[in-house]
Amino acid sequence: MPAPQLRPLGIDGSSLPGPYPVGRYADGLRDFLRERPRVQLFGEVWNLRLSRAKVYLELRDSDGALPCFMWRNDFDALGLGERTLADGAQVVIGGGLDYYAGSRTSSPSFSFAIAAGALRVAGEGDLLAQLDRLRKTLDAEGLFAPQKLLARPALPRTIGVVTGESGKARDDVLAGLHRRGWHGRLVWAFAPVQDRHAAPRIAAALQDLAATGAVDVIVVARGGGSLADLFCFCDETLCRTVALLGVPVIASVGHHTDRTLIDDVAALSCSTPTHAAESAVPVHCLRAREDVIAFARRLSVHGRRALLHRAQTLARLSRAPGEHVAGERRRLHQRLREIRAAGRRRVHDERARGASKALVLERKARAAAFDAHRAPRLNALALALAAHDPDRTLERGYALVTDRGGEVVTSAAAAREAGDVRLRFRDAAVDATIGGDDDRA
Amino acid sequence: MTEPENQLALSYEAASARLEEIITRLDSGQAGLRETLELCKEGRTLVELCAAELEAVGRGLEELHLEDLVARLEAGAGAQGA
Repeated sequence: MPAPQLRPLGIDGSSLPGPYPVGRYADGLRDFLRERPRVQLFGEVWNLRLSRAKVYLELRDSDGALPCFMWRNDFDALGLGERTLADGAQVVIGGGLDYYAGSRTSSPSFSFAIAAGALRVAGEGDLLAQLDRLRKTLDAEGLFAPQKLLARPALPRTIGVVTGESGKARDDVLAGLHRRGWHGRLVWAFAPVQDRHAAPRIAAALQDLAATGAVDVIVVARGGGSLADLFCFCDETLCRTVALLGVPVIASVGHHTDRTLIDDVAALSCSTPTHAAESAVPVHCLRAREDVIAFARRLSVHGRRALLHRAQTLARLSRAPGEHVAGERRRLHQRLREIRAAGRRRVHDERARGASKALVLERKARAAAFDAHRAPRLNALALALAAHDPDRTLERGYALVTDRGGEVVTSAAAAREAGDVRLRFRDAAVDATIGGDDDRA
Repeated sequence: MTEPENQLALSYEAASARLEEIITRLDSGQAGLRETLELCKEGRTLVELCAAELEAVGRGLEELHLEDLVARLEAGAGAQGA
């Protein structure tokens, strides 16, 4: 057991009682608070945190707030779940003030203790409802559009960044720009990003950056946090300032699941400060340099090729007249050769045709000469033949006697033997029968 | 857009987009000789513009506080006024 402390002397001139040992005073305070009447309170839940033993939250309304806790077993028995008690949820709690007095080795804490089971979800918080109404109002006024219509440069020379001076978002922005290979001019406008004074300071920083006229794009960055922490980015004045700013604003506030009003009015909303920095420089600078070098090479190739083509064309054109004359000469020679050949063919054909005709004429002449030589003899033969013609004898009055078989009967004896004979005269034949005596001459 | 004074006013994205159009046209082989030479001339100007823009953001990161930028701008405006 520690030795009792000696009471030191008090402060000179002070009229306050004491000094008292702090532990005893703390115990007294705890007892005093615990004796206060237990009550029901209502408000909005913010910053809900679950630990193994307790559940911590803040109960807020527009006039004030109290830190609260509830034993984890009692909270789990309600079956609400973490999602039901999201930031902004309206609840009624029942309990009383409590105070943990602490000790030499542990810090004290002041809390409004929640009696077991005395919590009821009463609905969505007014702040969220106000946020939703404000979002609809800004949207109806068309304030979500102006920033999105601003042209964002692909390669800004100067980037403004509004963020907390000591936050991790600052390093994330630098990392994003480094990944883009961007090493231009970066203008920091540091401002608080969490408390009630944050929104006016952020708005002023944005206006000051835009007023310089030297900033091409502005990044507003803040790391993750509860919706209560991020609520300054839902400030109406700040959002109207952003909407009407002449410089495009890229917002990265909280995690990707958070949606503040500045995300709606900004030109672009990104999930992380790194992503916001990369979006501020759409062009990857290192790759762009490689592309430009490649473009320059291709232009050089096309230029050389065009000049070479022009030189080849000029050379071809300069050769054209000579080639044309040579071609005409070749054609004329060819035509001449064809004419000569045609002449030779014609002479040859005519010669052959003439020879053929000469041969025919010769043959005809030879035949004519032959006929002239044989004609007299033939006439003589014809005359001789005619002289022996029996018909000529008959014409002189003789008759030709033939038997029935047509054989010539040349004697009287033969005529008698034949009996019936035929007498052929010049004009016709008659039959006759041989009779009487032998009349010998 | 072939006038040099117009090209000076071009943004990087407009210049690079026009440059890609020129390369596509040249690659198609449909440009005549005169057009090819004109496109090459325009393209070289655009390449220089893009290279200058990239050079401006490649010399090294310069970090300023807003107050420093304002002071620098005011000093520049004062020098010009004098």
